[in-house]
Amino acid sequence: MASVHKLLNGTYILRKCLKPRVVFSPFWGTHFADYCSSSFQKPVAAPGKASSQRKTKWNLEEHHQREVALEITSPEDKPEISFDKAIKEEMKGHFRHLKDDIVNYWIGPEGRPLHEVLMEQAKVVWQFRSKEDLDKWTVTSDKAIGGRSEVFLKMGRNNQSALLYGTLSSEAPQDGESGRSGYCAMVSKIPRGPFEMKRSYDWSHFNTLYLRVRGDGRPWMVNIREDTDIIQRKDQMYSYFMFTRGGPYWQEVKIPFSKFFFSNQGRIRDAQYQLPLDKISSIGFTLADKVDGPFFLEIDFIGIFTDPAHTEEFAYENSPELNPRLFK
Amino acid sequence: MSWAQAILLARGLSRGWGGICSTALTGAPFSQVPPQAPRGLRCSAAAHNPDSSLVPRPPEPPRRPVKALAVHEELFRPALDGTRDKANFVQAVQNFAQYNVHKRGHVDFIYLALRKMREYGVERDLSVYNLLLDVFPKEVFRPRNIFHSIFLHYPRQQECGIAVLEQMENHGVMPNNETEFLLMQIFGRKSYPMLKLVRMKLWFTRFKNINPFPVPRDLPQDPVDLASLALRHMEPDLSARVTTYQMPLPKDSPDTMDPTETHIVGIQSPEQQSALARHDPARPIFVEGPFSLWLRDKCVYYHILRADLLPPEEREVEEIPEEWNLYYPMQLDLAYGRSGWDDYEFDIDEVEEGPVFAICVAGAHDQATLAKWIQGLQETNPALARIPVVFRLSGSSGELLASSSELEEPPPPPPEGQEEEEDSQQRQQKGQS
Repeated sequence: MASVHKLLNGTYILRKCLKPRVVFSPFWGTHFADYCSSSFQKPVAAPGKASSQRKTKWNLEEHHQREVALEITSPEDKPEISFDKAIKEEMKGHFRHLKDDIVNYWIGPEGRPLHEVLMEQAKVVWQFRSKEDLDKWTVTSDKAIGGRSEVFLKMGRNNQSALLYGTLSSEAPQDGESGRSGYCAMVSKIPRGPFEMKRSYDWSHFNTLYLRVRGDGRPWMVNIREDTDIIQRKDQMYSYFMFTRGGPYWQEVKIPFSKFFFSNQGRIRDAQYQLPLDKISSIGFTLADKVDGPFFLEIDFIGIFTDPAHTEEFAYENSPELNPRLFK
Repeated sequence: MSWAQAILLARGLSRGWGGICSTALTGAPFSQVPPQAPRGLRCSAAAHNPDSSLVPRPPEPPRRPVKALAVHEELFRPALDGTRDKANFVQAVQNFAQYNVHKRGHVDFIYLALRKMREYGVERDLSVYNLLLDVFPKEVFRPRNIFHSIFLHYPRQQECGIAVLEQMENHGVMPNNETEFLLMQIFGRKSYPMLKLVRMKLWFTRFKNINPFPVPRDLPQDPVDLASLALRHMEPDLSARVTTYQMPLPKDSPDTMDPTETHIVGIQSPEQQSALARHDPARPIFVEGPFSLWLRDKCVYYHILRADLLPPEEREVEEIPEEWNLYYPMQLDLAYGRSGWDDYEFDIDEVEEGPVFAICVAGAHDQATLAKWIQGLQETNPALARIPVVFRLSGSSGELLASSSELEEPPPPPPEGQEEEEDSQQRQQKGQS
């Protein structure tokens, strides 16, 4: 698996200039961050050194996050690069993870005792208190289709929040097929188990999403994607809008899961279904409000809780005019 | 063919080629051959031009980014006095209708008109969209038998109808009965534009009022009105008062325009006033900014006056005396047994930041303007005169200088604003340092 990673990341060696934005890192990269030392090293041209590639890639991510001057290693203390050692450590880590997983299964769901999980009414799912928390998120913009928007993610002041900032530009790319452009998105990475198995979140006990954010008045869209374990559903997602107030005060946004509408390939579908809460894969925030200019969004944490006053099951009913087949 | 004829033919040909080449080079008209010889011919006559290869030359890259005019673009020329407004647009559309009875090229004309709507400022006007849909010939594109309805009947026209509705959707214009009737007349009930109209009516009504902080569609143009709208938008306390500390100078005398005389509008609630009165004069308070606030498509920059968070040992819990409210107790110390089932608190410490005392929107972001704001605030907060104020401005205009005019100057804090390399308009709040 490390060799596949080496092949995938072979292109990183060729990049001489460090890009000032987050590159869409494949999921492999996150697990190797633990093994890297903090010193910056120039990319080694030899193709057989996986660990140096990992260091380079990790530093590419780090560069935009840290505005500190880069440390220059002295020629005496060169860290040892050993391909076999790195693979062995990686395998050991995965087996350790597997062992923890099996042990946790006997304790209860996700390693917590059952009574605690059943009685829980509020849970923090993502918090932003350290750099590792930022590694769980990926940031994309319409640069992927040739647009001009830029977006960056970094820790906020005092490491207490995450700041997503950038510039939105709705100038359409001149590639002959896009008529509109201008979006920025922050998506959470799919949770992985041992050996990179795809896992999902189980939120069936809760009914509301809670976000503590501070924005600048722009409307955002919250998207939730389901697990693609059995059926491939990469274009389908459930979305709703998050309106930020702007201003210096923190804002609490509570969105019940019954309000999320279903969309496929970016278009709202006629047949609407309730969001199934038992296999949720990722959550994302998108900004595409057709207004050019800088933006920022500061997030404190993201949690889910049960709102006992909310009894609605699903907010959108299907109409016989649009879906005659559902009403036969 | 005999050799004489061959020589004559060759000479004739070479003269012909030479004629063409000379035409190409000098541009003089040549009678027998049309003046615009195709490129291939010109290039293949290699005798006169030794640089050109046998491969035809690729077309020259366009030197100017201006595109060629569309077919009916002359209808959208600006009026005699140069204005572009709804009346001119409507006139242009009606001119097209009179241009030819059969309305040839109406699809292209409608696409062109959709592109031009923004220049004329009519992109949110429903009547203009209805007029544009009126350009379609009626009853022609309706499917009349089953074969018409199986295959997409008149696909280009249906796509054009969908494009009109899509532009309406982008600008948030709700279609009305007239639109529905027009679409039914043009495309029939089972067509895609009609389906899109049904969807628009459904989803627009569902999402019309979901914004908990609505901003009016037509924002005020006056900067003072816009500033007060922005301040009211940001401040959740309804008893806060908006004060205009300085009005901008009227623009009729441009030569005596003073750049520091911009508008300054501030907001403060009574709770913030009392908190400022209780603030310890030994601790400085900070003016931070500028932060951006977006109202639909306008960006307003604001500054805040805040203090740092007190360390836990100095925080005092405010005790409300029991006589404050005789009708019901303000504090209850009952310990109802709440088990884990009823615990709705999140297991995390929320971000804590110092209290905010006032917010202001000013035209300029330099210290002189903000100092005027502080002076204006001192009229309602006399305690502010004793508290040192530190300006923590960021961006090109703000420099980190020390305090207010009256009092003792605390040592200037180390420059913190320069760490952030992003755009100067984006700033985040500074918590406890």
